[in-house]
Amino acid sequence: MTLPWIVLITYILTSIVFITYLMTRKSFLVSLSRLLYVCCTVLHLLVIVLAWHKIHHLPLTSPPQAMNMIIFLASLVFMPLVWRRSTIVLGAFFLPVATCILAFLLPSQSLLLSSAIGSYRYLYPLHTLSVVIGEALFVVAFVTSLVYLIHERIIMRGSLHTPISGLPALMLLDKILYASLSLGFIAITVGMIFGGLWATALEIQIGSIAPKVTAGGVMWAVFALSLHQRFAIGWKGSRTAIITLIGFCLMLVLFFGIRWAYPHAHGIGLL
Amino acid sequence: MNRICCLSMNHKRASVDILEQFRVNPEDMLPFMQNGSEIYALNTCNRTEVYWINIDDSTIVEMLSHITGIENKLILELSEVFRGREAVEHLFVVAAGLDSLVIGEPQILGQIKDAYRAAVASATSSTLMNKVLHRTFRTAKRIRTETDIGRYPVSIASEAVELATHIFGDIKKSKALIIGAGDMASIAGKRLKERGSTNLSVINRTHKRACDLAAELGGIPKPFDCLMDELTLSDIVICSTGSSDPIISNPIMENVMRARRNSPIILIDIALPRDIDPDVGRLYNCYLYDIDSLKSIVNRHITSRELQAEKAREIIEYELGVLGKWFTSLDANTTIKDLFNLMEDTIEHLLSDMNVSEQEREKMEQSLRLSLKRLLHRPVSFLKEHPSVKHIDTVRRIFQLDENNQDRHKRQ
Repeated sequence: MTLPWIVLITYILTSIVFITYLMTRKSFLVSLSRLLYVCCTVLHLLVIVLAWHKIHHLPLTSPPQAMNMIIFLASLVFMPLVWRRSTIVLGAFFLPVATCILAFLLPSQSLLLSSAIGSYRYLYPLHTLSVVIGEALFVVAFVTSLVYLIHERIIMRGSLHTPISGLPALMLLDKILYASLSLGFIAITVGMIFGGLWATALEIQIGSIAPKVTAGGVMWAVFALSLHQRFAIGWKGSRTAIITLIGFCLMLVLFFGIRWAYPHAHGIGLL
Repeated sequence: MNRICCLSMNHKRASVDILEQFRVNPEDMLPFMQNGSEIYALNTCNRTEVYWINIDDSTIVEMLSHITGIENKLILELSEVFRGREAVEHLFVVAAGLDSLVIGEPQILGQIKDAYRAAVASATSSTLMNKVLHRTFRTAKRIRTETDIGRYPVSIASEAVELATHIFGDIKKSKALIIGAGDMASIAGKRLKERGSTNLSVINRTHKRACDLAAELGGIPKPFDCLMDELTLSDIVICSTGSSDPIISNPIMENVMRARRNSPIILIDIALPRDIDPDVGRLYNCYLYDIDSLKSIVNRHITSRELQAEKAREIIEYELGVLGKWFTSLDANTTIKDLFNLMEDTIEHLLSDMNVSEQEREKMEQSLRLSLKRLLHRPVSFLKEHPSVKHIDTVRRIFQLDENNQDRHKRQ
């Protein structure tokens, strides 16, 4: 059995343990789920390091590699949250999503494909890494928004007698959501600046990357609007959560849709 | 387990007046204790229960009548008597809160523990009662941890606080406002204080009553004119005034939400008629609960507790089995001891009829003891390996051990 398969099986097992904990609240599952979570992250890191070693550069030159990195970074961000008793159940919402995505990525050989990066190599990793960090934080924001809306619905209906009702308090979720959105927004902004510099350095025509730039700009504007409304008129809670969900869907459209509709949206056949 | 009995007088049969009168302390029962007897008494606001071992029922009723001043006949009429397994099962059921007015309420276990401490201090509880009570604590603890019987609140005030914790998490950091100074407001304020709320204000039209309640809850009284300002600053609002018209209307709350920049607020309206306009619940980040919605949540929790009671009864059944085995093994040991007593009595009886020298007597005694020990070896081994009630009973009847015990007591 190869390492990617072991990682995938560990993710599946960890997801099952987290969901079982969410449904049953058995105390002994807390330590087990944390232990499995650490195993998942360490094994996932090993996969990335081995891919890096094999292709001789950071595995961030294709959509599968970027998606793999996003999931790994999101796992890292979730680590302290899983360690807190009050937020451990967030793992039960994140891990199934992560496992489904990894099920498509890990068994294939796409993580080991190397692409030509061109000149100004330092700008490329800065651009991709910033964007990927931002997108990983948006994954965290997406999961938190989902849990926020579910918990708010439970509170509104007064269904506090189900095991699933023991979700983190709304204000705590709002804090996590705000932190991940703000940091994600900063990372995306930095990534876009580096992307602009990189495109300028390679003298890529704006026309050839217009779809990607336009879609990225729209997504950036949605998150900017969300943060602005929070500061300006106090859009806390459900409205921020809904905007985050919309923003996240937009991010998925960007990631897959633009790539499908415009295969050379980056102008040089990368991401 | 057959030796334990229970007399229970509770809210189901007796009036509050009688229950207030029917209270017993371990010290009062000391003069009625006999050799090898044990008594344990439990007094709560809803019940008085007496558990005893190795005492006649008539002595117990006589004792209770003497201590409480209630006639024997009335005591028997208003109470239930449980024997053996049923008595222990009843104690387990009571400790788990399954027989309480509010199913699953946790206070009863604390009261049982306090009563046990008092019984141990006054030496009315000994080996058997101690074993039964320790098993009771274990059973109650298992029920609380393995079922959801006590997980969700079943009082309106507790439910309101529970909802607030779902929104704000640790309510110690949240500011609470109580509008009104009636009983319901006071109970809700106490629940908030129990959960650690320290930043609490009280507003009432009659400022003196607000001051009184604030002093009771450790909060700050505020004049009624400050209502808008306090609503703007508070996260948890509990409203329970006697006003016939809503005191918090939709326009007021719109202004408040604007002033607090849509920061979430939970409004608990436990007044009848309502103090808060129902439309307020539609405002963004305003979580409004009135008495009807709270009652419906509480009713769902009561139903949930009733369902959990089934699981609790399975745990009780298991723990009764474990305790039953312990009692049976104890009975087996007693039977083995009685068998050897019978052997000694037989040897003594046989030798007393013989006219022989002291030396010959010693030799005969040794050989008789050896023969009888060999004879008893098989039934004793069998009892140790299969200590069931049926086998113990058969051995006792075959060897007439109870009759022999009675003869021994008479001789002594």
